[in-house]
Amino acid sequence: MHKNKGFSEKIVNLLMWLYASFIIFVLVYMIYNSLREKSDILGNTLGKPKDLSLQNYIALFVNDHFEKYFFNSLLILIASILLLIFLSSMVAYGLGRYQFRFNKSLRVFFLLGMMFPIQLGIVPIFLLMQDMHLVNSYFSVILLLGTAISLPVFMLTNFFAGLPNELYEAAILDGAGEWKIFTRIMFPLAKPVIFSVCIVSSVQIWNQFFIPLIFLQSEEKKTIPLLIVKYTNHLFNNVDMALTASVMSIVPILIVFVIFSKQILEGFAGGGIKG
Amino acid sequence: MRNFAKKHPYLLFILPGFILYCIFVIYPIISAAMNSLFKWNGIGPKTFVGLQNYIDLFTNKVLLSQLINAFKNSFTIFLFTVLFVIPVQIIFAYMIYSKTKGHSLLQAVIFSPQFISTPVIVFIFTLLLDSNIGFFNLLLTKLGLDFLAKPWLGMPSLGIYIVWLMISWAGFGVGMIFFIGAMKMLPTDCLEAAYIDGAGYWRRLVTVVIPQIKTTILNLVLISYVTSMTIFDFSYILGGVAGGINGSVDVMSLFFYRIAFGDNNPMGGNLDENSIGMGTTVAVVLFLLIFIVAFFQVYLMTRKGEDS
Repeated sequence: MHKNKGFSEKIVNLLMWLYASFIIFVLVYMIYNSLREKSDILGNTLGKPKDLSLQNYIALFVNDHFEKYFFNSLLILIASILLLIFLSSMVAYGLGRYQFRFNKSLRVFFLLGMMFPIQLGIVPIFLLMQDMHLVNSYFSVILLLGTAISLPVFMLTNFFAGLPNELYEAAILDGAGEWKIFTRIMFPLAKPVIFSVCIVSSVQIWNQFFIPLIFLQSEEKKTIPLLIVKYTNHLFNNVDMALTASVMSIVPILIVFVIFSKQILEGFAGGGIKG
Repeated sequence: MRNFAKKHPYLLFILPGFILYCIFVIYPIISAAMNSLFKWNGIGPKTFVGLQNYIDLFTNKVLLSQLINAFKNSFTIFLFTVLFVIPVQIIFAYMIYSKTKGHSLLQAVIFSPQFISTPVIVFIFTLLLDSNIGFFNLLLTKLGLDFLAKPWLGMPSLGIYIVWLMISWAGFGVGMIFFIGAMKMLPTDCLEAAYIDGAGYWRRLVTVVIPQIKTTILNLVLISYVTSMTIFDFSYILGGVAGGINGSVDVMSLFFYRIAFGDNNPMGGNLDENSIGMGTTVAVVLFLLIFIVAFFQVYLMTRKGEDS
């Protein structure tokens, strides 16, 4: 049923490849320039390279201990995502599955977090974290990123609300409790949406700059974006390092994504729901 | 207690998230928003002025014209996203969903700009669009279209469209993934039935797929609206605190940031001593602009849910 051999489909396919090649061009352009010297990038952008070397990469690891930043980023990413998915899938299930009096208002309430610039609340948050002795601790960042559940709740609520009632009734007949229904049946069904949410949130957390900047003060605990911004703040002095660090921050997450992308496409197809 | 939880099983699911969300998201917002009722710069004396900040914002000509300009720019980003980005996202998602040639590679590649952090995206686009050494002008010249070559970044009238272009380029894959996810969950029998009925490839998209992913489309429209209103870093990096020449790349949250934290007081005069007060006022107005739309959408969707 999915055969698309018409002419217009071919055109769209071609356009997609054109667009994809532009993206690949930009990525290659970044990688290529990360292998060049600074003066070469700025003074001779399009010309023939003087020489390509891994010098920038060596400098990144030897002088700046990139691996330290990488593991900090990874730790924060994994912990925040686990917290985020745990909280948001439960809230979304509660809102989408059950009808109760303040349901609609609660849905709007959980959206509020998306409606304010994060910079606004930073002073009260900072004082709060100070009281909890969490400043300069991974926990402050994890708690803040893991509780920013507005978007995930929003995406997941509608999914759970759209699940057919029969599924739920059948589980009740089997004698399963509310919690068991959620963990054994509903959560697995939501996997494709949870996967999309995971990917989108992962990227946001991975590139998150503002919150770590405020809360992670010692160099030991800083994340990759803080390192990159350290370079881009004086971009024209540090073009080479900015590009190198960017490439190094993209590559691992890109590899993970390519692996999971196959799973999204083939593994969870349909999810077994027939409306 | 146990009985109460039995009667309201949703509490078990909502409470943990609710409590943490209140502490770390809602409390700071309320606490900060209270400042809009004060005349305060964050350090000096704090005087209660009631709604005076709101009156000032809408009567002071300089402030009002900046507010309107920032809103216009943010809205332009939103409008262009809805008109040009979302339809293309749906079409691309449909192509990938129906396993077009190289679909899994295409999906990964189209999503990948999302991984590049904003300063680097702005930097790369600055290099590509540069009037002298930029790749884009070079390409136009090679194609014999020299007359189209422009100092792209030096033209205030183009500023906001370039910001839009960068945002779209970076975020295109996210929307696409959501659409693919939604399509994956469609029951296949409808599509099969339409196929047997002889509906063509695009016809199936319009008559079968789009009506069934309506919720996702509406969600993405709302998300684009919220993003356009709260997006900050692209304009900030490209145009600085001032938002470019004559505020050409100014957007709502940059306007907020400039008033609240802007170091080189752009307003002149007495507003400086009221930076936090007026800044939070702008943020509350921004919040209301988003809230009205979001509320309307949630209301629309839940009502639809009850009807069916």
